[in-house]
Amino acid sequence: MAVLDEMCIQEKMLLQHEVEQFLYHEARLLDERKFDDWLALLTDDIHYWMPIRRTTTAREIDDEFTKPGAMAFFDDDKKYLEIRVKKMAAGNAWSEDPPSRTRHFVTNIRIVDIQGDDITIEANFHLYRTRLDSDEDSWIGHRKDVLRRIDGNFMLACRHIFLEQTLIMSQNMSNLF
Amino acid sequence: MPVSAPDVIARESWFDVDTGQLDRRIFSDQQIYQEELKKIFARAWNFMCHESQIPDPGSFFLNRIGEDHVIVVRDRKNQVQVLLNSCAHRGNTVCRAEQGKTRSFFCSYHGWNYDLDGKLLAIPGEKDFYRNDVDKEALGLTKAAQVSSYKGFVFATLDAAAPPLEEYLGWVGRLGIDSIAARGEIEVVDGIQKNRVRCNWKLAVDNLFDWYHPKVTHGSAIRTGVMSEADMYPMNQMVMLGEYGHAIGGPGVSEEKQAQLEEKFHGKNQSDSADRRDYHNAWKTSHKAREILGPVGVRSRGHPNIFPNLWITLGGTQACLRIPCGPLETELWWFTFAEKSMSPAARRDLIQAATHFFGPAGLLEQDDGENWSHSTRASIGTVTGNRPVQLTMGQGHDEVKLDPSGQSSIETVVNEHAQRWTYRSWQEWMKADSWEALIENHSPAPSGVI
Repeated sequence: MAVLDEMCIQEKMLLQHEVEQFLYHEARLLDERKFDDWLALLTDDIHYWMPIRRTTTAREIDDEFTKPGAMAFFDDDKKYLEIRVKKMAAGNAWSEDPPSRTRHFVTNIRIVDIQGDDITIEANFHLYRTRLDSDEDSWIGHRKDVLRRIDGNFMLACRHIFLEQTLIMSQNMSNLF
Repeated sequence: MPVSAPDVIARESWFDVDTGQLDRRIFSDQQIYQEELKKIFARAWNFMCHESQIPDPGSFFLNRIGEDHVIVVRDRKNQVQVLLNSCAHRGNTVCRAEQGKTRSFFCSYHGWNYDLDGKLLAIPGEKDFYRNDVDKEALGLTKAAQVSSYKGFVFATLDAAAPPLEEYLGWVGRLGIDSIAARGEIEVVDGIQKNRVRCNWKLAVDNLFDWYHPKVTHGSAIRTGVMSEADMYPMNQMVMLGEYGHAIGGPGVSEEKQAQLEEKFHGKNQSDSADRRDYHNAWKTSHKAREILGPVGVRSRGHPNIFPNLWITLGGTQACLRIPCGPLETELWWFTFAEKSMSPAARRDLIQAATHFFGPAGLLEQDDGENWSHSTRASIGTVTGNRPVQLTMGQGHDEVKLDPSGQSSIETVVNEHAQRWTYRSWQEWMKADSWEALIENHSPAPSGVI
């Protein structure tokens, strides 16, 4: 695959379209609770990670997010994501039964790097959730995803999720981002 | 049905120790909450942080004592200070990053600047506007009345009359902290998970003793196979109760089983044990663990709570503060502890387990919050709030056995002894007007039939 700088505008527009359609598709699978179909879009070596964010001074802003290998909210491989999905399907996962109502919004999608079959994407997201009668959660942040082209189709090979919240204002995060 | 609405605060008793009936309105009443801030949080020794979180002069970590915001900081003399995070001038916050390293604490309102030990260093306009008529000595940051550390765990109290920390903890509280500290030289893994649950803080606290709920609440996690039903619903329970409300509740192993485990793991590099479940048990099978934890304590696999609100997980890898934010909200702060000597693989394993089980996205903890928030909500209802909580399980059926070592325990099936002890102690704290009165009137640790 051509590196980003060498692509002409038409090639970039085509790739942008393909990337956007993939991200919208997988967001819809999550909102429709088709979690097995969503899992099928993940590579076996996926790293799904949400570090912990802290309020720091501007001088110490490099320490704002925990680093890989330290504590995180999510630090999952494919096997663990399968366990999360299995849990939701267990029939007694009370944080998701009655099910949460979610809507994933993905915007500001930028292709930032291409290495071989791996395309690195940065995007902003808003995950909105309501539960039962009066629970309402809103998570906003940005994601760094790696999409890998395998047999002509995209697979998600990496998802790093950076929330704007430090203190999580929600009772739980039983959803997928 | 006739609706009665007695004044909660005027009640003789919120918790009936003889019947295990608890007034639900202690989970939502604003007046009771205000009393708790004064009579429990301002009076108790509160966990601040582990010393490894503030390694150097100037390293700080923000925490709370009830609703008082404090800075835990290492000063230039390497002493740990706990300073109220509020400028002497107008009350504004002088430290706004939740952790980090600084040379001083500078108020963003008018520029009053404080040293790491809270001393007021400089105020703009001291000569020109104040005409040198200001007593800077008297205007430092307020300090916690007492700060003390037990095996690297820093605690503070706002009450000068509180007994020394080790006396406050007693053997049960010390055993709780030892069940982390005895693992070796430990440090906090970077990253404190924090989230807010819409429940009263006491519901989050008493749940840690509740080994009745895992099979149901966490049934879906069990169904995934990441933990066994035997682990989540163990039949052998061990409860230890200490003065001032400290308690340990949860699984325990028999003396025979403990001896078998000591045999099995003797001489093995325990932190590198391939099997995580064995690892949790493994470190408690060394002679050193027996020596530090005692012959009874070493057999406990349960959850300690350092009264009022510090939960230590079984395996001694994590601790969770339940911080009150009004009667209807609680913050959960997770601290994770690793041995400095751990292999990278064992450390990775410990951190993965911590991330996967607890915290807001943890497989176990995901399902706790709604139980607590809906129990809190019911305490507000006119009718539902008047119906007492039932903490009756096992009452009168068990016995506290005293070991020659001086440690004592209740060895039984799933029960609510530790919850009853927590609320009995809570009530004693709430009825005492001073530390003197609490020392005078609190229950000694129970003995005999319980």
